[in-house]
Amino acid sequence: MLIMAEKLKIAIYSGNIPSTTFIENLIEVLSGDGFIIYLFGKKKKEMRYNANVKSFPTPVSEAELVYFVIKESLVLFFRSAQLFKKCMQEVLKKSRNIKKFFRNAGFILPILNHQPDIFHIQWAKTVEQNPELFNLLKCKFAVSLRGAHINYSPLTDRSLESAYKKYFPEIDAFHAVSEAISAEAVKYGADKKRISVIHSSVKDELLIMNPEPHVKGNEIELISVGRHHWKKGYHYALDAMKILKDEGVRFRYTIVAQGEIPEELLFMLDDYKLENEVEIINGMSNEELIKLLQTKHLLLLPSVEEGIANVVLEAMAAGIPVLSTNCGGMKEAVNDRFNGYIVPVRSAKSIAEKINEFILEENEVKKDIIRNAKLTIRKEFTREKQKTGFRNFYDNVSAK
Amino acid sequence: MRIGLILPEAPQYSETFFNYKIKCLKESGYDVTVFSGKRTKNKLFFKHSSAYPVYKNKKIGQFVLFFFVLLKTFITAPERSVKLIRKEIKDGNQFFTALKILYMNAHIITHKLDWIHFGYATMSVNRENLSGVMKAKTGVSFRGYDINIYPLKNPGCYMKLWDKLDKVHSISDYLYAKAVKLGLPDNVPYKKISPAVDISLFKFKNDAGVIKTPLRILSIGRLTWIKNFETAISAVKILKDKGTDIIYTIAGFGSEYERLKFAVYQSGLEENIIFSGKKEHKEIAKLMNESDIYIQPSYQEGFCVSVLEAQATGLLCIVSDADGLKENVIDGETGWIAPKRDPEGFAGKITEVINMSFEKRKETALKARQRVEKEFSLEDQKKNFIEFFKD
Repeated sequence: MLIMAEKLKIAIYSGNIPSTTFIENLIEVLSGDGFIIYLFGKKKKEMRYNANVKSFPTPVSEAELVYFVIKESLVLFFRSAQLFKKCMQEVLKKSRNIKKFFRNAGFILPILNHQPDIFHIQWAKTVEQNPELFNLLKCKFAVSLRGAHINYSPLTDRSLESAYKKYFPEIDAFHAVSEAISAEAVKYGADKKRISVIHSSVKDELLIMNPEPHVKGNEIELISVGRHHWKKGYHYALDAMKILKDEGVRFRYTIVAQGEIPEELLFMLDDYKLENEVEIINGMSNEELIKLLQTKHLLLLPSVEEGIANVVLEAMAAGIPVLSTNCGGMKEAVNDRFNGYIVPVRSAKSIAEKINEFILEENEVKKDIIRNAKLTIRKEFTREKQKTGFRNFYDNVSAK
Repeated sequence: MRIGLILPEAPQYSETFFNYKIKCLKESGYDVTVFSGKRTKNKLFFKHSSAYPVYKNKKIGQFVLFFFVLLKTFITAPERSVKLIRKEIKDGNQFFTALKILYMNAHIITHKLDWIHFGYATMSVNRENLSGVMKAKTGVSFRGYDINIYPLKNPGCYMKLWDKLDKVHSISDYLYAKAVKLGLPDNVPYKKISPAVDISLFKFKNDAGVIKTPLRILSIGRLTWIKNFETAISAVKILKDKGTDIIYTIAGFGSEYERLKFAVYQSGLEENIIFSGKKEHKEIAKLMNESDIYIQPSYQEGFCVSVLEAQATGLLCIVSDADGLKENVIDGETGWIAPKRDPEGFAGKITEVINMSFEKRKETALKARQRVEKEFSLEDQKKNFIEFFKD
């Protein structure tokens, strides 16, 4: 029998405190699971975490930052004068002016003072922005492989590409959000054997929901959720709506997306005269969203790029059928006509055809699909499964 | 005759349209001053005055400047300043907003002008009362974005402008029609002046009508959703999957490079599609000379001078049915039109042109050249510009 040593100290670094919804979810999942979680990054908002989470935010305002850097410098100096010297050399090297110096020092000092066992980088671009981490910090490094940072940013950013190629071979372990994205990371020198795919998860509460499914032939309520960005493919969705409208299909389509509606979509709505059929809502809370989802018949994901879109998992759990493009890792969750629907990327025509197919589907088939979707979530995308995944992941990294 | 041309910035060397317009007007004796929002360091061949700056972060500096600029304006043009403020207040603006409007127009209001001409309709916003105060006539040019998109984000933005206009210039009939829908009274005199091509720069290529292997396709334009290169990329994928050997060059830069680059990568077309960046005239002429087919898949287009230049060069042009383009290419005669946002449609049209007889292709290219020479010559454009501001 192995006796558990001290709890592992894991730094979750995303740049900001608090971070995005899914990274905050991750923090919540991990902190309840026998790890000590350290958070570093810019302080965006006052946050309260449970006792297993230790937050060391770097202040944003200049006065506070200067005080913070002096304080942290003294702590480090007394802990190890040698490390302090090395740290200052690195920071001076990368700082072009005094302002940058304080920013850079404010970033690295608290990390060196708290020495985590594993430093888990949430956004791969950090390896380009903060390579000093690798020279100064003696611990294991893990990198999450998510979305744009792997899938397309390095395509147009040569220096990012070379940073990946330089540092990826030195990373101890990678966490990939999907099989698909791990294949992309290998192209930049990530060792396939060091990559673990850990899918994200949804709350168990969603599984008990059972909204009324769509009845064959009736008017259909469609919904898409996700920020305004070209990768979400809303322009393909609107092209598809135009096709449906021309065919005389009765539908309503809601897009929930935070922020100003892009010119492109405004122009399309006007050009296609879809003002009566399409509504674009400027964001809402997760609770409101779950409520709204349950009044809809089909969740459409028209994206051209995703890891595995969480909203699709949530809809599957909550009993809303999903229609997704075959982008990123979506096929790892959705199987065409088994637990949802899949169409090729970048094809408005295919989206329109699939929606028609769904409308005319027998009610029994729809119910089967909803049932299968819930089974898929129960099997692959539960909080428990994600927890176990990360527990093994970190144990393996620290044992290396 | 003194003309004030209001532009967002002083035209750069590459913006032939405005430079040529200013040159023509100057040559025929007009006194032209360009008023721009931004300052420029470039050497200019015309009179130029730029707006007083608006700072975002320097509140105190802005206030001091605001105060002195207004003081200076009230001293040098007291009657006009007071009149402008009165008019703005009468239009329902707060006193402070009226002062702000005076500030943003302080570089114009002190001049003596007979015409105030807005180079884009968007330039007229908050300047509608200027010509009334300055006893000048008001003209405006419609170019695309200003009529097609800006009013969608700012509904009713030209309502104050419409009844103050003395003359309207549009680069296509379609834009004019759309402006009328937006409320432009149809009794305001209107003149269509299309862009023109310098045919000495774009020479008819020797091998016009020839389709080489690999097929060389070209597009020119900013990398934005308006130009809709995603459709062209999907069309190239369809052609490649059917076995066509193809090289597609997109010349231009813009904010959506990443979006397009990813589309190319995801479609497995990295060997087939080249982003060549922004090119100067001579390089564009060279690129055109090396290509077989020119495509313009735009979602929306005011008119598009690149398509004219491609026709002048003798390229086989396939364009979308975006409104301005339908006036640019005559389908089946000087080129071909495919449905916008339809990759299959574009791929089909390209295949059709490849399979056409050489004679038919050559004939189309020749006709296109002749039409450009006849209807889109610099001389005609010059005449039209000069006439526009007469009487």
